[in-house]
Amino acid sequence: MAALKGVWGKIARVDLSTGNVTVVEPPEEVYRKYLGGEALGLYYLFKEGIVDPSVDPLGPQNMIQLLVGPTNGVGANARSVIVTKSAYNFLCVTTSGGRGAAELKFAGWDGIQIVGKAPKPVYIAIIDDKIEIRDASHVWGKGTEEAEMILQKEVLSPLEQRESILRSADMPEKWAALHPAAKKGIGAKRLAAVWLIGPGGEKQVWYASVMTEGARAHGRYGAGAIFGSKNLKGIVVRGTKGQPLADKARFLELTRAIQSSEKGDYGWRSYGTARIGYAHSNASSDFPIRNWQWEAWADPHTVMALSGPFMDVASFVRKQSCPGCAMHCLYPVETTSADPLMDRTISDMPDWEAMGMVGGNLGYLEMPGATPDDPFTGTHFDRAEALAKTQYTTFIHDNYGIDFIEGGALLALLMELRQRDLITPADLDGIDLQWGDVHAVDAIVKKIVARQGIGDVLARGTYETAKYFAEKKGKPEIMDYSMTCHRYAQPAHGVRANACGNAMSYLVAIRPTEHTSGSRIPFNRGDVDAAIAAENVQAFNNSLVICSFAAGHWTGKTVDLVKAATGWEDFQEAEIGKVGERAYALGRLFNLYCQGIKDPKKEWDCPEMVPAKRWFSEPLPAGPHKGKMAYDGDMDKVFNQLLPEYWKKRGWTEDKGIPTAEKLKELGIDDVAEAIAAQLR
Amino acid sequence: MDQARAEKLWELHHELERGRLSRRQFIRMATALGVSLTAAEALAGCQKATPAPTTAPTQAQAVATTAPQPTSAQPAPTAAPTQAPPAAAEPKEGYMLRFDGYRCTGCLLCAVTCAEKWQAELFPEQTKDVVNLEFSRIRPMRFQYVDVVNVCNYCKLEEWAEGTKEAPCMSVCPQKAIKFVPKGEGKPGYTGYGYKTVDRDLCLGLDACGRCLEACEQQFGSGISFDPIEHKAQVCTMCGGDPACVKVCPEPEALQFVPVVVNGRSFAFQPEAYAELLYMKMFNVRRDL
Repeated sequence: MAALKGVWGKIARVDLSTGNVTVVEPPEEVYRKYLGGEALGLYYLFKEGIVDPSVDPLGPQNMIQLLVGPTNGVGANARSVIVTKSAYNFLCVTTSGGRGAAELKFAGWDGIQIVGKAPKPVYIAIIDDKIEIRDASHVWGKGTEEAEMILQKEVLSPLEQRESILRSADMPEKWAALHPAAKKGIGAKRLAAVWLIGPGGEKQVWYASVMTEGARAHGRYGAGAIFGSKNLKGIVVRGTKGQPLADKARFLELTRAIQSSEKGDYGWRSYGTARIGYAHSNASSDFPIRNWQWEAWADPHTVMALSGPFMDVASFVRKQSCPGCAMHCLYPVETTSADPLMDRTISDMPDWEAMGMVGGNLGYLEMPGATPDDPFTGTHFDRAEALAKTQYTTFIHDNYGIDFIEGGALLALLMELRQRDLITPADLDGIDLQWGDVHAVDAIVKKIVARQGIGDVLARGTYETAKYFAEKKGKPEIMDYSMTCHRYAQPAHGVRANACGNAMSYLVAIRPTEHTSGSRIPFNRGDVDAAIAAENVQAFNNSLVICSFAAGHWTGKTVDLVKAATGWEDFQEAEIGKVGERAYALGRLFNLYCQGIKDPKKEWDCPEMVPAKRWFSEPLPAGPHKGKMAYDGDMDKVFNQLLPEYWKKRGWTEDKGIPTAEKLKELGIDDVAEAIAAQLR
Repeated sequence: MDQARAEKLWELHHELERGRLSRRQFIRMATALGVSLTAAEALAGCQKATPAPTTAPTQAQAVATTAPQPTSAQPAPTAAPTQAPPAAAEPKEGYMLRFDGYRCTGCLLCAVTCAEKWQAELFPEQTKDVVNLEFSRIRPMRFQYVDVVNVCNYCKLEEWAEGTKEAPCMSVCPQKAIKFVPKGEGKPGYTGYGYKTVDRDLCLGLDACGRCLEACEQQFGSGISFDPIEHKAQVCTMCGGDPACVKVCPEPEALQFVPVVVNGRSFAFQPEAYAELLYMKMFNVRRDL
């Protein structure tokens, strides 16, 4: 067989229990079927039996995979994806930008699979073919920012380091007399990429993230907890092999065309996602405010603190790109605040999810004593403080290595319970968590990442916390304030205004309650076929693995790029949908089977699955969409009409939403999926 | 035909017009770029006092007829260039690469372009189906929120104090393999302003030597790297005066080719130390990297 191109045909498999490193060599037909990233990871979750309910997510049996795809490397917009069984015991597929994806490809790997548990804290160093398990006790307990810079230094390629041979005699006499040879050798290059966890992951906080480059996160579904459960602090990779390409000239030509197109995309190039909050989400009532009690401020001046222009002039310092991207959506910031806790924090932006989940959702924007219904009475300095609070909360989540979407939902839940006197400060170890109180937030987050006192309960996330307090207090209504679906936090995109599509999107995406499945807009129009197509494209993109922000610039070029990278001349446009369909079929089966949901018809009756009560039964209290609920509160329409229609159109059974035997066969994945699907049908 | 090959063709044509290439050499090199013999002959013929406006369509035509057939039903997204060729770069004496830490986003396009240029030149066979950044002489390095573009700064030692005005890397090279090609000399395609280069026949490579980088890292920056095939020293030539990295950079003024008086050591700094300074400058904090 001719050597593969685009990919290397090699995945490293590291067993941390034994210290063994082996090589998995997926055959070409597996790459053709699953491509890489999300779909390939799902294939291995089935092949290796991780789907089985007996595999404890936080036990040594669970396998965590970090995967890339065929265009990653010198291609534009590369992302890495982590696929594993989530700490929440469902599917974890979580992507991140940063240089790691390219560097892993340059090292000669399409991914790394990790099983077992190291006896003591370790990190994995990958230098091309050489993979070492190294002691990490010196960085264990350190925040992601500090630890990353230490680990990056420790991994250099052989051509970047050498003992000293330069002697003063090699230098002109006068120079040597002034500055004699220091005998330090070579070693100043810093080209390794690092994925790592913070204290949150080490303590197995369920929503811990895997971080890179300070602010980039494999943020969702608790991949960091799985790292922590394996005593794995991080993965450091330095690759010097480059990227193999079937038709290099064509690949580079297409990549340049994408980059030229991106250069004209001044939405991203001006503010990244920071342009969304004030200008769009507030205007369209789509903004999480105080645990979603509101979704718009009566006075838009309140949210001006989170507008692109305000954030830019108040705190943006520069802009950063992932490799091969000309959109640079990440803006490092320096916080300016009168409060020494927050002043001079270095962080990023906040991006849209952070603006929502640890901004508006925590009541940071209103003036003291004001509600979202009141006019804004502050000045630019008050806005700067509101921004600083959001940035500081973003920073602590990033640096402790926890997800601010789930984390923001959890903090907002606690604040609303406090607002309604359903809990007291005594329930939170004396911390009085009031809306807008960043010091209380700081204190409670510290407890969570240390799993100290009540922090040990909170570390299991929003839904479990609501359940804990509902039982402890004997007040089942506490569950109504858990803004979750599938036991997992709703991201910063509302469902009640004119965005009902989000509700369907959250319900059916195989990554539970995902906001990036692409189906929101088609579902808004009620177009189920288009929603399925959009989900498939997004799952394909997560298998390629490319950035959804840049995907528009790939339109019409994607197939040619895959061809140029891999040399698969018969690769067709239709394969995009097929890869996505495979991921969706496997993801659906994974979520049902590993959670032991035997009768999916009852999925929505089961308390764990019920979406937030607020979606369907609490009308929006204010704003242009006042009075609206998701699908006008018609849950029956969603669960008994739209869902069966969606399942049927996917080629799944209409009664339970299980992929049919014919569908699995048609997709060519019956070999790994049919046995489990048959049990579920 | 892709942009790079089209540009290369124009460079060749430019050389032909200046009389630096013979007609025969031009035709041979143009056909190696994928231009048909007829088209190459036509292009070579055009040099005879044909005004530029007429040459442009002829070249575009030649390009169109010789481009590889698209493999899909879709039209090629990047059409063959039909615009007039870029103005020939004038010699830029005393110019150097400077990067702006605020404007640079660390996207690596400079490194990809540099790597592709050098690997194709040095190891065309071994690298025909790979792009490897290790061949790049310019390497942006990321220190979380700051990026440092690492490239040779063209340092010179101070003769009155240090005994020579050579570059430090040249001065410690036991083989005298690192050379400065004076203005007006050097290889075709370079605009004639002097540049530094490594004589690969003389260089002992990192396995036996590496004094150039050691001297650089100890007192200046980290401006030298070693190619992954023969492990020989690589240093930025600034493309002889018309750097490809500057042309490809998507950020206005992030990477510039600008006059920098004479001695680049004013700018040389180790990447990590520079990153620490950038933190102080940009974020008003000290970070010990």
